[in-house]
Amino acid sequence: MDRKMTIFWKGMLSLSLWILSLGVFAQAITVRGTVKDVNGEPLAGVTVLVQGTTTGTVTDIDGNFVLEGVAAGITLDISYVGMQGQVIPVNGRTTINVVLMDETELLDELVVVGYGEQRRREITGSVTNVTAGNFNQGVTRDAADLLQGKVAGLDISTPSGDVTEGSRIRLRGVSTLQNDQGPFIVIDGVPGGDLQTVAPQDIESISVLKDASSAAIYGSRSAGGVILITTKRGSGLKPRISYDGYLAVSTLANKPDLLTANEWRDYARETGKDTSVYDKYGASTDWFDEIIREGISQNHSLSLSGGGSNNNYRASFNYLDREGVVNDNYLERYNFRFQLQQRAINDRLRIGLTGSAAIGEWNEADNYNFVLAYNMLPVYPVKLENGEWFDTREYDQGNPVRNQTYNKNLKKNVHYYGSGDILFNIMDGLDIKTMLYKERQTEERSQYNHSETQAGRDDGGYALRENKIWDKNLMEWLLDYTTTFGSAGKHRLNALAGYSWEENEYSYTKAANRNFTTDLLGADNLESGQGLRPNDVGSERNMSRLISFFGRAHYSYESRYMLTATLRRDGSSKFGDNNKWGTFPSISVAWGISEEEFLKDIKCINDLKLRVGYGITGNQAGLDPYKTLQLYGTSGTYYDNGSWLTAYKISQNANPDLKWEETAMFNVGLDFYLFNERLNGTLEWYDKRTTDMLYTYRVPTPPYLHPDMMANVGDMKNTGVELALNFNAIQTRNFNWSTSVTLAHNKNEVTSLSDDTYTTSRIMVGDAWVRGGSGRTTHVIEEGYPVGQFYGPEFVRIDNDGKYVFRNKDGEEVNSVTAEDYTYIGSAQPDLTFGWNNQFNYKNWDLSFFFRGSLGNDVLNMGRMTYGHPGYLIGANALDDPLVHQLKVVPEYSSLYVEDASHIRLDNMSLGYTFNTKGIDWLERARVYATGQNLFVITGYKGLDPEVDANRNNGLAPGVEDREYYPKSRTFSLGVSLTF
Amino acid sequence: MKKTIKITWISVVLVLMGGIHSCTDLDETVYDTIPADQFGQKPAEINAIIAPIYKTLKNLWPGNFFLLSEQTGDMAITPTRVGGDWWDGGIHMDLKLHTWEARNGLINDSWNAAMSGITTSNQIYATIENAEMDLELKERTLAEIRGIRAFWYYMLIDYFGNAPLVADYTSTDLPTMSSRQQLYDFVVSELNEIKDLLRDDVTSESYGKFTQGAAYTLLAKIYLNAETWAGTPNWEGVIEATDKVMSLDYIIEPNWKTNFEVHNEVSREIILPIAFGKADEGNHLHKRTLHYLDPIALGINVGTWNGVSAQPNYVKQFDDADPRKEGSFLMGPMIDPATGNVLITAHARPLIHTVDFNIIPGTIKEGMWGEVNQEEGARANKWVFEKGLANSDQENDFAIFRLADVYLMKAEALLRLGQNNAEATRLINVIRQRGFGNNSHNYTTATLDDLYLERRLELAWENTNRQDMIRFGRFLNPGYLRPSTSPVHLLLFPIPEAAWETNNNLVQNPGYPAF
Repeated sequence: MDRKMTIFWKGMLSLSLWILSLGVFAQAITVRGTVKDVNGEPLAGVTVLVQGTTTGTVTDIDGNFVLEGVAAGITLDISYVGMQGQVIPVNGRTTINVVLMDETELLDELVVVGYGEQRRREITGSVTNVTAGNFNQGVTRDAADLLQGKVAGLDISTPSGDVTEGSRIRLRGVSTLQNDQGPFIVIDGVPGGDLQTVAPQDIESISVLKDASSAAIYGSRSAGGVILITTKRGSGLKPRISYDGYLAVSTLANKPDLLTANEWRDYARETGKDTSVYDKYGASTDWFDEIIREGISQNHSLSLSGGGSNNNYRASFNYLDREGVVNDNYLERYNFRFQLQQRAINDRLRIGLTGSAAIGEWNEADNYNFVLAYNMLPVYPVKLENGEWFDTREYDQGNPVRNQTYNKNLKKNVHYYGSGDILFNIMDGLDIKTMLYKERQTEERSQYNHSETQAGRDDGGYALRENKIWDKNLMEWLLDYTTTFGSAGKHRLNALAGYSWEENEYSYTKAANRNFTTDLLGADNLESGQGLRPNDVGSERNMSRLISFFGRAHYSYESRYMLTATLRRDGSSKFGDNNKWGTFPSISVAWGISEEEFLKDIKCINDLKLRVGYGITGNQAGLDPYKTLQLYGTSGTYYDNGSWLTAYKISQNANPDLKWEETAMFNVGLDFYLFNERLNGTLEWYDKRTTDMLYTYRVPTPPYLHPDMMANVGDMKNTGVELALNFNAIQTRNFNWSTSVTLAHNKNEVTSLSDDTYTTSRIMVGDAWVRGGSGRTTHVIEEGYPVGQFYGPEFVRIDNDGKYVFRNKDGEEVNSVTAEDYTYIGSAQPDLTFGWNNQFNYKNWDLSFFFRGSLGNDVLNMGRMTYGHPGYLIGANALDDPLVHQLKVVPEYSSLYVEDASHIRLDNMSLGYTFNTKGIDWLERARVYATGQNLFVITGYKGLDPEVDANRNNGLAPGVEDREYYPKSRTFSLGVSLTF
Repeated sequence: MKKTIKITWISVVLVLMGGIHSCTDLDETVYDTIPADQFGQKPAEINAIIAPIYKTLKNLWPGNFFLLSEQTGDMAITPTRVGGDWWDGGIHMDLKLHTWEARNGLINDSWNAAMSGITTSNQIYATIENAEMDLELKERTLAEIRGIRAFWYYMLIDYFGNAPLVADYTSTDLPTMSSRQQLYDFVVSELNEIKDLLRDDVTSESYGKFTQGAAYTLLAKIYLNAETWAGTPNWEGVIEATDKVMSLDYIIEPNWKTNFEVHNEVSREIILPIAFGKADEGNHLHKRTLHYLDPIALGINVGTWNGVSAQPNYVKQFDDADPRKEGSFLMGPMIDPATGNVLITAHARPLIHTVDFNIIPGTIKEGMWGEVNQEEGARANKWVFEKGLANSDQENDFAIFRLADVYLMKAEALLRLGQNNAEATRLINVIRQRGFGNNSHNYTTATLDDLYLERRLELAWENTNRQDMIRFGRFLNPGYLRPSTSPVHLLLFPIPEAAWETNNNLVQNPGYPAF
């Protein structure tokens, strides 16, 4: 009996001890602690969660946290943005102090490269990545506006103040003479996209593939570099709703200084001319003011994102309404986008669907109204006293306000696409992916010139309707294999193989009519016109196809020695029969110097990488479909027995040898991250050689039917240096200052224009047309000189007779020169382009300002040449310029008008305040901001703006401010962004 | 089970194999133009293919050769207006002052126009030669093409003298120069071979085509200038050819203006026209010649360029009683129909088209050439302005050859030979009487000078001025704004520099700086 009781009591003791121990662990305790960073600074806002529950707290401003009533056996999950998280079992402790380490996030950042992603550490080519936080703010139309000045060597210029006109993008100089389209655009992996289809608010990051070794995988379209745009994706972590909206006001930044009414009267008095014929209205009109307004713009952007463990989605809507400063110029655009991704079969299958639609409407400015505004006398009124419009039939004169009020040139554009992609993980490390893509863009134009306005009076009213459709079908297959081998996974290998099939079709119709009895119908009832001509009705259609095979292999040893090789074979239906397929290889190596033993201990160097790459890329933007064939096309009409019939003629000289242009680039780069990544940057040098440049060469007739022939003949060279530096100068708890600079210098030279069959030593291009001065060219394309080389007479001074004095080839001063005396009088190519950004953060405030500019480029001031002389005074107006009093001859192109357009521009200044939303659980982020764009320009250039259209004349005669230039505007915007 | 797997695999392989071709297929489907091997077998298509040879004629007038002919002679001038309009680097001044050189744009464009005409003819000849069509029609069509080609060589002989002779489209060698004599012989032989293969009717079906009348008229022109171009005169040849033309159904239209109306395709005096239409590249002389505000006075709606005018001395040789004076020249004040007042120009001057020019002091460019006021100069009034014209070119055809010219050619040949003065005088009188509208100004015995004058009265603006002056030995004489005699080498234009740049086989004409 005693033995039984002992066993019982022993059992009871164990049981109670066990129950007691349970109690101990189940006992509610209070855990306290402080979270600090490596510098000993307390961290506020650190999330401290009880793992497996939703209980948790956040550290306060001193880094302290308190968790009350928690079990002693819990584990704490500590996380903070930009830091490496920690998981700490409490084990009954009541005080836990934590030190969080910085995440070396920049180096481990995933960067989008061609057909995939790579860690920044591993990249062997020249890739610059810009994320949403660094984009330009304010009124932005498309991705190009976000990037302006941010990437060294990527030159994005705004051609004019027209809000419907896109930016001109050039990477590392001009490398073609024909239809330079700039870099190749890839949107979410789909090649050949249009920047207009992506609202800026939807963009997550933009990668620019600058050298051939990174771009060559895109083959025959990548010679101008590649811009990869990645849109925002939903994440499965937290559902989110974002709203971003702004309101902006634009005003004209710079107006030409024309004679005012009184200045004109003074001039007429000085020269003794009779003004009674003109000055009978008692008016004083500033014609530029009359055609200009304040443009009000607004933008609203709404996005939803979220997901679960198996899927994620994002949908967004964006509305942009942008008014230009010219009365009838505006752009209105709706963007819709949705993306969803779902995983299945144990996460091995991933299917994604994307749809996007951009619906836009815009009215381009009729630039001829600027010519009218320049010429119309300031003593003419806009309207007569009885309310009728004032008008005149004089040459280059008419009422521009009347034009703007009654005429329209409206374009409606719908651009939509859908794509589906399937990714299947066949086995460990091996993925197969296919993408199918369908895109259609339609553009409808409706133009009407009212019969009483200057633009429509000769036709008695002119109406035009045009319709364009672009269709693209794309199919892509990819096989992606990644593996590591060797001890501790030191060797890493990634291989990619792909196939792509793309077909493009374009179709166009037009119908026009003129001589309408009434203007009320506009262009909406073409039948009612009475002046139909045979060529008022037309249609066109063409197609082209591109088929590619490509592959890449990337090998890395410990992120210390890395090698990437790519190969692409492109076949295009646009190439001639003799050259249908082209091959584009590339290879690049990188040496992670900082991973070496001798540098591993040097703490201040986080990463030092040397990269060398070489590759061959191509360009086929200069080729239209069917260019290589012998074809019959219509050739006007002919008279036959009382009627007019259509004539047909061989429409071009056929060239079966036509092919792509080839650009080989050699690139050396050094990436460095120093002082805990506070100072980082890249220094690069490149040498870019373009061969087989397309150009239209003169051929003799006979024996050729047409006097020109497009052929691959010339060579061009671009060499340059780029530096991008980023310095986080001050980083304290309350105040941050970071500054970044990009500098680029590119030297462009045409190295050859001839081969055995086609020879030309020099091509005169550009048009220096002024009234009475037709037939003069402004630029020359010549071996040994850059594109954009101005060529003409060297100006010395204006003599007492009001004549130009030039220097002839013997150095003498003469009044008139011939073509033999012309010389090289300037270059549109800059010596240096730069951007400088500063970002300040003080508590919840942020301030940034951004300068960009260029040095050493020249611009031909055609506005001054055309309107800065007294030849047509007093019947037409002129600039208030000393030349008006000095010059007595017809204006002539010379170095007088080629001015230095070096400039620095405060392009963007932004002040923002982020509200403290920690107390509000339903609001994640709220920020208000004010932005000013194009605030001021410092330059010696006398014209309207030193940055002009680089695409003028197909890019062959850049650096010219035309006589009908649309001046740029200054914009102020106020915006708010909220995230729920 | 096994069987289904097998079938599945076989079908997969077959699909893949079938697909393999399409996955590398780069064949182009051509939509809006026609591959050359698919077009040109049906009669309507053949007609459409021949048409471009007639379109090349549009490059003859009123640009290019028109300016080279009338402005280097003493008929027309494009002065530089106050402010600089039409200065254009002096290309028009060079034509008037006889100071042109191989880089002159107008000379270059004219050369290219001729070369394009010849190459187009050669190419179409090669296409038609291989076409399947009715044999008689084919022969006639080929003759038409050779006729147009011969015409362009005639232009080259007249203006440039020496030029490459290319009669074969398939040859791809860069051609070499042939001499004026060689080109002359070629044109004569071509015309003689084709002249009887062409149609000889004068109907609306033959209008606009190269007919037998055109071939004989061209032959007459060649022979008329034989002394200048080939060294030995051939006036008899002229008489023979012109007789043949006069035996065909052409008439001297009783109303002189019928030849210049908007719808002058009804004129049976026109032998070879440039058939202009409004649709593509029409008659744009009205744009070249009228002042910016003239359309208001004339009732047309067109933007004009205020360029070419007549030289004063040419206008003054007309008798005021001759309706052809006002029929050729637009002179005097231009009235605004709405107000009844004279229009005022942008320089506050009344828009009165004076015959004389007053060079504004202090504006001399070179020699005696300077700026003149916008409104000065008699303008071209010959081709009737179409009232209500809406912003387009005009469709008045231009008569390259017309019967009046043929009459005067025969008269000239007779006078040169000293034969049959009665017939020569009769021919001149037909023209003179039709021009004046009465016979009070007829000649009893005509001289060569009378003939020369009559040509100038009848054919103002019609591309005969330079050729006639050279033939009569007056081209190099001092003239308006040009006080000294011109050097002999200027009787030929220089081969354009741009032409030599694409074909180094070309050799520059004597007297000009060598290439």
